[in-house]
Amino acid sequence: MASKLCTYLKASVVKKQVMAVTGLLLCGFLVSHLIGNCLIYVGSDAFNTYAHALTSNKLIYVAEAILAAIFFTHIGLAIKLTVENKKARPVQYYMKQKTGRGATFASSTMPYTGMLILVFLIIHLINFKFGPVYMTQIDGIEVRDLHKTVVLYFQSPLNVLWYVIAMIALGIHVSHGFWSAFQSLGFSHPKYNCGLKLISKLFAVVIALGYIALPIYCYLLGGK
Amino acid sequence: MTDIKKLDGKVPEGPLREKWTNHKFNMKLVNPANKRKYNVIVVGTGLAGASASATLAELGYNVKTFCIQDSGRRAHSIAAQGGINAAKNYPNDGDSVWRLFYDTVKGGDYRAREANVYRLAEVANSIIDQCAAQGVPFAREYGGTLSNRSFGGAQVSRTFYARGQTGQQLLLGAYQSMMKEVGKGKVQVYTRREMVELVIVDGMARGIITRNLITGEFEKFAADAVLLCTGGYGNAYFLSSNAMASNGSAAWKAYKKGAMFANPCFTQIHPTCIPVHGTNQSKLTLMSESLRNDGRVWVPKAPGDKRKPNEIPESERDYYLERKYPSFGNLVPRDVAARNAKLAVDAGQGVGSTGVAVYLDFADAIKRDGLETIKAKYGNLFDMYERITDENPYEVPMRIYPAVHYTMGGLWVDYNLQTTIPGCFALGEANFSDHGANRLGASALMQGLADGYFVIPYTLGNYLAGEGLINKKVSADHPEFDKAMKESKDRFSKLLSINGKRSVDTFHRELGNIMWEHVGMARTKEGLETAISEIQKLRKEFWQDVKVTGTAEGINLELEKANRVADFLELGELMARDALTRNESCGGHLREEYQTEENEAKRDDENYTHVAAWEYKGDEQTPARNIEELKYDNVKLTQRSYK
Amino acid sequence: MSSDNLMTLNLKIWRQQNSKDSGKIQDYVLEGVSPDSSFLEMLDQLNEKLIAEGIDPVSFDHDCREGICGMCSLMINGQAHGPERETTTCQLHMRKFNDGDTVVIEPFRARAFPVLKDLMVDRGAFDEIIAAGGFTNVNTGNAPDANSILIPQSDAELAMDAAACIGCGACVASCKNASAMLFVSAKVSQLALLPQGQVEADQRVQNMVAKMDELGFGNCTNEAECEASCPKGISISNIARMNRDYLSAAVKSKAEPKA
Repeated sequence: MASKLCTYLKASVVKKQVMAVTGLLLCGFLVSHLIGNCLIYVGSDAFNTYAHALTSNKLIYVAEAILAAIFFTHIGLAIKLTVENKKARPVQYYMKQKTGRGATFASSTMPYTGMLILVFLIIHLINFKFGPVYMTQIDGIEVRDLHKTVVLYFQSPLNVLWYVIAMIALGIHVSHGFWSAFQSLGFSHPKYNCGLKLISKLFAVVIALGYIALPIYCYLLGGK
Repeated sequence: MTDIKKLDGKVPEGPLREKWTNHKFNMKLVNPANKRKYNVIVVGTGLAGASASATLAELGYNVKTFCIQDSGRRAHSIAAQGGINAAKNYPNDGDSVWRLFYDTVKGGDYRAREANVYRLAEVANSIIDQCAAQGVPFAREYGGTLSNRSFGGAQVSRTFYARGQTGQQLLLGAYQSMMKEVGKGKVQVYTRREMVELVIVDGMARGIITRNLITGEFEKFAADAVLLCTGGYGNAYFLSSNAMASNGSAAWKAYKKGAMFANPCFTQIHPTCIPVHGTNQSKLTLMSESLRNDGRVWVPKAPGDKRKPNEIPESERDYYLERKYPSFGNLVPRDVAARNAKLAVDAGQGVGSTGVAVYLDFADAIKRDGLETIKAKYGNLFDMYERITDENPYEVPMRIYPAVHYTMGGLWVDYNLQTTIPGCFALGEANFSDHGANRLGASALMQGLADGYFVIPYTLGNYLAGEGLINKKVSADHPEFDKAMKESKDRFSKLLSINGKRSVDTFHRELGNIMWEHVGMARTKEGLETAISEIQKLRKEFWQDVKVTGTAEGINLELEKANRVADFLELGELMARDALTRNESCGGHLREEYQTEENEAKRDDENYTHVAAWEYKGDEQTPARNIEELKYDNVKLTQRSYK
Repeated sequence: MSSDNLMTLNLKIWRQQNSKDSGKIQDYVLEGVSPDSSFLEMLDQLNEKLIAEGIDPVSFDHDCREGICGMCSLMINGQAHGPERETTTCQLHMRKFNDGDTVVIEPFRARAFPVLKDLMVDRGAFDEIIAAGGFTNVNTGNAPDANSILIPQSDAELAMDAAACIGCGACVASCKNASAMLFVSAKVSQLALLPQGQVEADQRVQNMVAKMDELGFGNCTNEAECEASCPKGISISNIARMNRDYLSAAVKSKAEPKA
């Protein structure tokens, strides 16, 4: 049974499908994270309460482990696939041109946007999850003032800029990835293909703009 | 003077309808357990070669298959557009095996072997079944049944098709069946190998010598039988609808080892090709004959009329096929359509900048059925036409002109598809047997697959069992193999050593011009005599002045071409000689001296109801013309009339 | 025909003696090219010139020259079969180029398609993939009457769309990953769409994919450059169908894939 599973996991098609599933799960994570982020607009208490509720729940370790597994699978496989793909053409073309009818900017930059997002992710964790800890009290309970960490971080225009760039990259990555996941999983129908591509683009725009709004808001908030 | 040999076609006894059935029963069988002890060589991977390889391997034989291309899927069968005939009578329009048989014999102008043609018509239905089972995506009606159309001179709809790519789909079906046996280890396909010699041991074909086109090495392969499925020799004309690598060399090697070559002058000039555009042209592209179902052929009434087609009023157009042949109109057989195009051009009514073309006009069909219908039917053909000519056939009429397309002649085979060399069989276009002097549209695919799927599996077993070859094994270490290999090595060395001034292509082009001029659509005694002497001269010059660059090792495309052209330079002469000695007109062979007052082919049934089978007598020796009498017990010989 | 508008071209052609040679781009100038010539006729013309100069002519694959055999290949100015949509190299005509143009001509490149000489490559990998499962296992003589299997016209048409593949390898050549997914999926789809192919559909898709992987083709990243450069316009919806079929075969099939 295990060997059978191994055989399947080695298949290019399955590797792509694992990419697709993990990618879609990460899209789900992006949505939930974005919703969480939106609490910042409600106010620091709402934001901090939410953060506290998440971190104080023991299940968070399980959730984080699963999330990390998804991330590592997605990233690890991406690296493996990219290496395999490079190997598949050992001698490069003297001249190579896109047809203009297939590849898009998003599709041809997936490894690069992916890497950028990875770098962003690490910095993001350092800056926030493992960043400066301030404490505050809500309803008499001592909680971490993550709101302050975030707002202070985004007082630097460079940090804002970096965040915006990374989120644009994320949007680009998702705009191809979201549709691509469906294709890899075998969803294709002449009636819905067009709609799916549109939804993929819309989704990417919503995600990117949604995330970009936060640092700008914080910057404008000016540490209040 | 040599005696004229009378060849025996080994047609089984009994009534026509029962011959094949009885023959199958009477043939010897190879024990299933013994089949794996036999090795069979198949040369060529077109419809005939691929289908034979697959079927023989399925039966249990060990098959080695050879092709000159990089894959078994490339052979020129793939380019057939129109369709494949079978008398299924699905449309309920009165078709039957008998009618298919009758039409094919008549279409061939009564120069085909009756029993072979009947068998062809008989097994045709099974071909359709087999191909459908393989997953060939034939065109379908809304109800899910197979769709039929009427094609090239048939008055019933019996042609099955897969868009304009029927040959491709049938070939891929056969190729896939062959590859399935490759997966099982029963077929080994040797790609980029050219057969350069047939090896005869004790009077039987026992193997071949091949040249590995990548390394340049010569290789020996021994077997119990050799099947030549190497297609036709239309490229003798240089410009033809054949693929660039199509050649007559394998058949020619067999001829020189004792296989007789039958009716070499029977070539088919296809009426609907895109006309020649310039001197650098390398090949001609066929437009499917199915276009004649909706297109109307015309030329201006007045010779030398240089107006644009749209400016020529209806009253000044000559729809000559409809005028001369009211009942068949634009759907007359290929030879008739081709010849009439030539007559129009000769009369100065030709169109286009070269004046060597006629119009094929879809304006009326578009008016009648609508642009969308015509697009759906012929879209890919119209696109192809536009790509090549830069003209939009939806708006201006196509220009077409006949071009060499198919060779009805080929290695003489008996009813069992065996050549005059025991153990050497010829299938598909490489043999001569089923199309007489003219092949009907959609019959070539039928014949190639009939030979490969349904005839050779029986007759080969009969040969192997009959000769008791299981006890007479020959290996490739036999001295005859070394001898044959040395002969071909010497020949290739010779080609490289001449180091003259003219490239191979210039010789090929010149041969093509001679052939087209004198052995083309209309032939005369004088012209043919000229052709023979000019070809002899050209051949001599070739062996003194050809320039083949590169070396014998590794890939050398020029050397490959030189070898093939050298053979065409001999084959071309035989074609002319055959045309010269056939003092009649029939089908695709029109001798200007022998025609009716209306320029129709005039047969001489009394003296020429036979197959001319040429026997090699040595280099630069006149070959012997042997004959096989053709007997027609079931059809009455009439003057073909398509009026 | 149009002798007054003959062109001169600057050609940059990949020359490589054999599979072991490293090869390089070589420059040639060719005058007197007719716009009515096909691309391959232009190369014929170049070769005639090279032969006259005693130079080894450029080797390239070609055969039917009517766009159906799939033998011709060539990357022309960085695009498989050149710039023209749904057109093979042999059907590309010189009128698509201008006088004085520089044209770069290279072989199709992929690990699975080793260069044999100059512009010729070995595409035998495609044959191996077909041998792994691209067929229906029906021996000659077993077939029921063709009309006993009814197939909806729309399915037959879709199958034909996929079956139109000529096996040229442009999909692999144009894919940045040298993936053969379009080729493989076209055959898988054709047979999966027809009832005749259903019997072995699960094994077929598994075995063909396994063989494809084994031969060193890259992975699909859904860029659709294959579809865009396919001379027969084969759709990547076939790839989706194959992905779907593979997934379902992996889940339910009793047989394991074997390459």
